[in-house]
Amino acid sequence: MAALRTTSRLFAASRPVFRTQVRTMATVNAAQDPAAGPDAKTKTFHIYRWNPDQPSTKPHMQTYTLDLNKTGPMMLDALIRIKNEIDPTLTFRRSCREGICGSCAMNIDGVNTLACLCRIPTDTKQESKIYPLPHTYIVKDVVPDLTHFYQQYKSIKPYLQHSTPAPNGKEYLQSKEDRRKLDGLYECILCACCSTSCPSYWWNSEEYLGPAILLQSYRWLADSRDEKKEERKHALDNSMSMYRCHTILNCSRTCPKGLNPGLAIAEIKKEMAF
Amino acid sequence: MLAQRATQQSLRRLAAGQPAMISQFVMKRALAPAAVGAFVQTRPVATQKMTAESSYDILAAQRKNRPTSPHLSIYRPQIPWILSMTHRITGAILSGGFYIFGSAYLVAPLFGWHLDSATIAAAFASWPVLLKVATKFTLALPFTFHGFNGIRHLVWDMAKAFKNQTVIKSGWTVVGLAVSSALALAAFF
Amino acid sequence: MASVVRPTMLRQTCRAAASKRAFSTKLSQAFRPHTKPASALSRQAAQNVFLKDVLPGSMRVAAFHASGRQAILPAEPQVIHGNVNDAASVPTPSPSHGSYHWTFERLLSAALVPLTIAPFASGSLNPMTDAVLCGAILIHSHIGFEAMVTDYIPAKRLPKTKVVFWWGLRAATVLVGVGLYEFETNDVGLTEAIKKIWTA
Repeated sequence: MAALRTTSRLFAASRPVFRTQVRTMATVNAAQDPAAGPDAKTKTFHIYRWNPDQPSTKPHMQTYTLDLNKTGPMMLDALIRIKNEIDPTLTFRRSCREGICGSCAMNIDGVNTLACLCRIPTDTKQESKIYPLPHTYIVKDVVPDLTHFYQQYKSIKPYLQHSTPAPNGKEYLQSKEDRRKLDGLYECILCACCSTSCPSYWWNSEEYLGPAILLQSYRWLADSRDEKKEERKHALDNSMSMYRCHTILNCSRTCPKGLNPGLAIAEIKKEMAF
Repeated sequence: MLAQRATQQSLRRLAAGQPAMISQFVMKRALAPAAVGAFVQTRPVATQKMTAESSYDILAAQRKNRPTSPHLSIYRPQIPWILSMTHRITGAILSGGFYIFGSAYLVAPLFGWHLDSATIAAAFASWPVLLKVATKFTLALPFTFHGFNGIRHLVWDMAKAFKNQTVIKSGWTVVGLAVSSALALAAFF
Repeated sequence: MASVVRPTMLRQTCRAAASKRAFSTKLSQAFRPHTKPASALSRQAAQNVFLKDVLPGSMRVAAFHASGRQAILPAEPQVIHGNVNDAASVPTPSPSHGSYHWTFERLLSAALVPLTIAPFASGSLNPMTDAVLCGAILIHSHIGFEAMVTDYIPAKRLPKTKVVFWWGLRAATVLVGVGLYEFETNDVGLTEAIKKIWTA
């Protein structure tokens, strides 16, 4: 009796697993077959692949086809669906799916953006290409190594530097006008879209800080409460850190949050000019 | 037959005594393999103690194998960087020509070249008109482009006209101005 | 009941195990299934996972188009000093290469605009403004070439090449400067020469 019960329990447990597997296979068939239904909107995605376990294999483009009717509207939805239903080995970063974490930054159709904020072009004839952020070292597939980017962020001391105690003994206050100067700066989520769109950063990422970090630098330079402005400017006053910026403005064009790193850098240059 | 019976009986007795144990026993030994097709996978999960340095060494070794993602070849051609690239190329053409002419003029007496303006002007005058206009256009275009785009850059250096739409508009304006003024310089002067 | 499920499940487990071997880290690459696959069918399935034709039709693998080309200066193996919590080093400040340099370059560029237009617009060709224009263009060109050297020749990676280009550029600028001096003193001057050739 006991034995019987356990048997049935075992099958009950195994059945859902089994069913999902079957369903997966079915959708794969539907996705791979453009003639599956008269209303199937089949779109092709080419995705950059590289596996660290096969380091000698060169990076390649892998092609997936999805039925857009069964996929969410955003590129991230497509990626998640590919990972869940077609190829579980596809690797990408994602977290918030609403453009606030900056994890899913990648080069989609030639432009750096967040996959979660990028709509899939509904034109099914156009094939989408997904690359990692340009000129970065690849950890796996579309996952870039941003260690140096974060190290550069740390090098600009991204925190309030204040040596005199607060007048009221509690907090550093700021007028509304001064606070407004930080609008368009504090929203940066450090997704590295702008930095990796900058040709200057491609060639000199070792020493040039890049648009994202310089925008952050300006965020602290523009803060009325910060007392180390001269030191901050001094740290940028060399040929590499900031002056590798040649106002190409790919950064402002690509920013998925609609910020303007190019303008922030121009403001720093202007402040430092005289 | 007899032996089988005896085992069965002892099992039943055991089950009556400890029901929990028997179900576990049966589950492990008899039922699970049957259900998954006699294919029991044991995963040799072994944890390895590692110091911070040795794990860092593994990471450093892995990093050396990493490829660089494609950049210039895959980025979508857009006004900001295409015009910036053109600005640099046209600057290099103009300055390169300037440098070549300057140094050639200096060493011309040594090689017996005639690079004085009168000789060049006379030689140029003898060319057919169409070739003259074409040459003038190819020389004027880098100059006009670099000049107009340089003004665009100087406006940016005053931290103005940074909106994306403004950048696109000013970019196309510069292209239009450069081409039309180069045509005018080539045709009417 | 179990026997009905068996072949399908077997194949799936087999495939899962094989794909795990194919796509995971080194540790589990050495891993082999504990018991051997029971039938020849499943063994074949395990082997086939490595073959392309077993991939579903919705997945195609194409060689990456840029990989065949030879890059001019391919990126070096990645070396990162310290971890993500260490700050990148800040270079020693030198305003003569930073803010002063930038300000000077902008003022010079801005001055070039009237300097270039004035001689042709006014029609009066003063040898003094001509000399100033020549000097300004020379310095502007020098700074432009200098920016290219800094941008495209990484100092850390190609220190010798950088030195060669850097001194080569300086020598060229001096040479051209002398050549222009000769041209200005012996010939009609830059603006006049351009005018003469252009209208020839």
